[in-house]
Amino acid sequence: MAERPGAQITGVHAISALGRGAEAQLAGVLAGTPAFRPVGRFDTAARRVAVAATLPETGALADELADAVDVACAAARLDPGDRAGAPLLLAAHGGAGVPALARELARRCGLAGAFRVYTSACVSASTAVADAAALIGRGDVDRIVVAAGYLVEPDQYALFDAGRALATDGAVRPFSAGRRGLLLGDGVAAVVLESAEAARRRDAPRLASVLGWGRAGDGHHPCQPDPQGRGLARAVGAALRRAGIAPEEIGYVNANATGTGFSDAAEAAALRLAWGEHAGRVPVSSTKALHGHALEASGLLELVVTVLAVRHGKLPVNAGWLGPDEACPLDVILDAPRRAATGYALSLNSAFGGANTALLVGAA
Amino acid sequence: MTGEPDRAGAGTSADGLRVLAEARWPEPGDDAPPTLPGFVHSTFSPVVAAVAERCLTRRHGERPAPQPVGVRTAVVLVSAAGDRSGADHVHATVARGGRPGPLFFFQSVPNSVAGHVAARWGLGGPVVCVAPIGDPLAEGMAQAGLLRYDGDADETLLIMIEQVPEDAGAGVTAGTPGDAPGTRALAVLLGGGDTR
Repeated sequence: MAERPGAQITGVHAISALGRGAEAQLAGVLAGTPAFRPVGRFDTAARRVAVAATLPETGALADELADAVDVACAAARLDPGDRAGAPLLLAAHGGAGVPALARELARRCGLAGAFRVYTSACVSASTAVADAAALIGRGDVDRIVVAAGYLVEPDQYALFDAGRALATDGAVRPFSAGRRGLLLGDGVAAVVLESAEAARRRDAPRLASVLGWGRAGDGHHPCQPDPQGRGLARAVGAALRRAGIAPEEIGYVNANATGTGFSDAAEAAALRLAWGEHAGRVPVSSTKALHGHALEASGLLELVVTVLAVRHGKLPVNAGWLGPDEACPLDVILDAPRRAATGYALSLNSAFGGANTALLVGAA
Repeated sequence: MTGEPDRAGAGTSADGLRVLAEARWPEPGDDAPPTLPGFVHSTFSPVVAAVAERCLTRRHGERPAPQPVGVRTAVVLVSAAGDRSGADHVHATVARGGRPGPLFFFQSVPNSVAGHVAARWGLGGPVVCVAPIGDPLAEGMAQAGLLRYDGDADETLLIMIEQVPEDAGAGVTAGTPGDAPGTRALAVLLGGGDTR
């Protein structure tokens, strides 16, 4: 494996039902109050479940993505010339219009063009971040903008409802006894990644570094995770190896946990497989219990939350907790935010197809 | 499709990848793709599974792929529009206030059939689905090259597929002069050499 210094995160922006902007995400996850509410955006009369974490008065996805890229670039203090050298990686739900959406987004935001569009379900955005860090590390490019977006809409909502994936009790309870499933949520985010040298050259803000990353498959089932968590464990291992960081140095895991019975247990099994008994001593929470599952955008929204929380030194709670589940023997953060013991954190994501990613960030 | 899926080419790419096996859908003699249990209504997933099966069989002979190469093989699926007919069916059902069948949930993303292929062949590398901005073969090769450079995969099963809008359950009539093409796909197994 090639040695690489990681990629600097120099600007972020996100919206979710917790609010608009990075600070709203941090305040929302530290407040610990779930943002689920009755869906007013479309008719849910034919659905079993009628709640989601939606942000009032959202614009069209293309507009929200453009705004996210603009704000993240401004936060990174990129001038038009800097932007013009930065290609776009976009994560979004697949469909006939998505490549055009990416091209137009890059044009509208003055970027160097759309480089790649990820349609890998719930690891789309995290795969884009891993690829961005790899491309920067390989020296292909100095700077990349990763954007991702999902706004709760009727088709995916109906599919998740039909698949009985949505929590019928209106709450997401990751790793908890009595968990009943996931709830969808809005998420639009953008992150500017740069090589350390490029960031240093222009004295850019440095929020954090993507120090390690891993992508691996379960090879188990079209849409169920490997109960032993083998693919996710390999992704976690790869992320730590790239970063040269030991499990004992990881101070927080922002888990994929969706509140779904078998998948949360598989994630716990993956952490046990990767780290053994130590897995039970690392603080873990899934902020999907607060902002919902933003599908293709989840990996970027959760990366932003993870970076902000670790920088702030406080780790968000795992809301919705009813009690321990022996299948999830983890140190789940309950009741109140916990002080971050280290500046290193993992953001994990898993998806249909047995796709898994791990992103390891270090607070600057 | 944008960029013909009928060419994989020979030789070695800039990323050091070479073609270890390739297959197309349709090939002479193909009719409808084999039914794929758990996947309904659309030819998208059955064609992906069929072309992947054909390609991997040409390389490995029989399932599963030998280890350790299998666990180090990625699946990269490239499609600009994805499962058009499945998405259109869901959209029409929802628009008229109906409920899609539960199987549509499980096949609503291209990852599902990629995961089916990975499970069937014991492939444990990354699963990545992309919608190409330009030439799908070039983007797929670049993705495979990045995964190999990066160390997450040694080999990549690259599948490129585009589905014509009206090609739902009717399947593909191959090799009939003058017929409009149906769902077409190309699968290429890429690697750096003989890693078996």
